[in-house]
Amino acid sequence: MLKKAWLLFINTFTVSMTANSGYAIVAVFRNRFVDKYHWFTKEEMDDYVALAQSCPGPIACSSSMIIGYQSAGLIGAFAAVLGVILPPFFMMILVTFFYTFISTNKLVRIFITGMQAGVCAMLLDVVLGMFEGVIKMNNYFYYFMVLACFLFVRLTKYSIFYLAIICMVIAVVKTLLFKREVDKK
Amino acid sequence: MISILDIFLSFLKIGLFAFGGAYAVIPLIEEQMVTNTGWMTFTEFSDLVAIDELTPGPIIINSATFIGMKLGGVPGAIAATLGCIIPGAIISLTLIYLYRKYKEIPVISEIMKVLKCMSVALIFSVLIKMFMEAVIPAGTLDSLNYISLVMVIVCFFILRKYKTNPLYLMLACGAITLVLNLTGLL
Repeated sequence: MLKKAWLLFINTFTVSMTANSGYAIVAVFRNRFVDKYHWFTKEEMDDYVALAQSCPGPIACSSSMIIGYQSAGLIGAFAAVLGVILPPFFMMILVTFFYTFISTNKLVRIFITGMQAGVCAMLLDVVLGMFEGVIKMNNYFYYFMVLACFLFVRLTKYSIFYLAIICMVIAVVKTLLFKREVDKK
Repeated sequence: MISILDIFLSFLKIGLFAFGGAYAVIPLIEEQMVTNTGWMTFTEFSDLVAIDELTPGPIIINSATFIGMKLGGVPGAIAATLGCIIPGAIISLTLIYLYRKYKEIPVISEIMKVLKCMSVALIFSVLIKMFMEAVIPAGTLDSLNYISLVMVIVCFFILRKYKTNPLYLMLACGAITLVLNLTGLL
């Protein structure tokens, strides 16, 4: 058990150090735990990734948590998640030192401000990509939800944390109503 | 001085609602750190989004460590990072427990779909604010920054067409702005 937890920690730590996006991390997990160690089947791994996507926070954390728990219980879960968060944690501490040191420099300021154009383009690309996902859901209800959420956040002063709760309630109600329809048939 | 507990609780809240992909956390950070608490300025927030993209690692952890570090040093960074992963940790363990028992949970997938719609709207809203900052900094048409506007449009087309790593485009934008400033063209 402890040996497995240690293996989990070493693997998630090295993956987190080298892969940079959540999905890249999940891809390497699949490669190591399915193809190399044979701890899970490919189908099990697909289920775990789907579950991890349903959790708040980074998919790298939730997927390592689930993989860790399934292979070595709670100790495994904590070992795996610790391995994932330590590399970015230490690196960001260094980056923060660096940022506070240089961010008031006039030239650095101009550079960072200029970079914002690239950040806007990147976010626009992300939003469009996500919206394509909404289109794929192929239901007017979801278009309405996007519009309603947008109006909520632009026109009201209420916190978006309330909006998240309202959305969850709507989803639960919709599932219950839909389920009843299916039962009737 | 902001207490470590306040930092922890703020990130607990952010971590609990950060559903639906890496970028979903950006509007939550803006809401909690800039609007609700005023612990960060909008400029610092915009810098952070750029830094997140420049550094490897999940955006939420990078942001939590960065903000926690700025607000309360290393203890702040630890509190913020723990705060943002604890909700996900508890929920993922609960889900895996339910999964072992029932195999399928339809409510969860519906919640995810609706929250994805919310994320699109929220990120778009933050994007509008950041776009205004970058292109019309003073809020009037006189302050329209043509170069910035052109860079946004060009970068967007390059991203869509060639799927370039946004990192290089951001660095290029920074470099172009710097050169234009130094040569006095801007």
